[in-house]
Amino acid sequence: MKKEGMAFRAVFLVIALLLLGGCNQPQFIKEAAFQGTEQILLTFAGPVDEAWAEDRSHFTVNEEPDPDILLTIRTVSLSPDQTRLTIELSEPINPEQPHQVIAKDIQSEGRGLGTQSVTVSKSYFGHLFGILIGALLIQNFVFSKYLGLCVFFGTSQKKSTAVGMGITFTFVIVFASLMSWFLYQFVLKPYRLDYLQIIVFIGLVSLTVQAVDTILRKVNPALFKAFGVYLVLVIANCIVIAVPLILADNEYNMLESLMLALGAGVGFLLALFLMSSVRERLDFANVPVSYRGLPIAFIVAGLFALSFMGFSGMSIF
Amino acid sequence: MDPLYIKLAIGGLVLLASIGLFFGIGLALAAHKFAVEVNPKVEAVKEVLAGAQ
Repeated sequence: MKKEGMAFRAVFLVIALLLLGGCNQPQFIKEAAFQGTEQILLTFAGPVDEAWAEDRSHFTVNEEPDPDILLTIRTVSLSPDQTRLTIELSEPINPEQPHQVIAKDIQSEGRGLGTQSVTVSKSYFGHLFGILIGALLIQNFVFSKYLGLCVFFGTSQKKSTAVGMGITFTFVIVFASLMSWFLYQFVLKPYRLDYLQIIVFIGLVSLTVQAVDTILRKVNPALFKAFGVYLVLVIANCIVIAVPLILADNEYNMLESLMLALGAGVGFLLALFLMSSVRERLDFANVPVSYRGLPIAFIVAGLFALSFMGFSGMSIF
Repeated sequence: MDPLYIKLAIGGLVLLASIGLFFGIGLALAAHKFAVEVNPKVEAVKEVLAGAQ
């Protein structure tokens, strides 16, 4: 009974964190989306005045990273029901970049609603899925970035240990990344202490591992025994420190961080599983004496890396 | 020295100290709450054995 209460509390906490990251306040501009290559479609919560909408000078469009460079607007047109507005730009839009649209002094049914800005980007779930698949396959941390190799070679001899290590690792990296994201966004960045990010992230990773170790020992001794020494080995993995640093560099938000951490964890699990499947078979193969053990494993890893190169340059959505 | 740097350095010290204190206490509490009784005989036997391996 007590165990169940703990689990519920943990699930509740995770959901609360997700809501905190995903919330935003309601706005008069309900929706903004790219339409074709040169148009942006704004949807308003109510009808806006035609005279206001026809004036191009009420709108500015820029790519979010460069607020100084305004894109030139060719035409602005309002739909007959006065709630949808199409902004046509004179040059094609780069949909990879989020764009910021500012509508000045919105006039709706004779009332002024002030200036509002809205960010237009590609489908958000597509974007999240892209990050997940990117970390999982396209930019696999083991095969494309060559990180975490020590643990990768150490624990890929048997399928069972490889899978155990992969699952432990996924747990730890998701928790550690979310914690370091919070600490970076709400403590390190506001107080300009980001020069301490490496040492703080290392501390958080070892803290997570220690906490998982202590709690698992009591709550689920069978699983603890199955994880064995690998739990502690996670600390020595480079991926677990690379992910928080990437999050900090790219200014990812909560959900994006979750996706990247999940992708990195599952990607490592995938790499370990593939490698251990091959190495179990290699034990029965007729390998030249000088290549037995690690040397042939390195060659196999190289072949895997080559085949993972086939994913490079792919983009999803 | 530039007071900004002193401020940043003190901020860093305070941050690291508070993180250490906070999570240290957290871990200690967790260790207390999730304590596992270890049979003292296991340690005693291990002590007596020749620990070459």
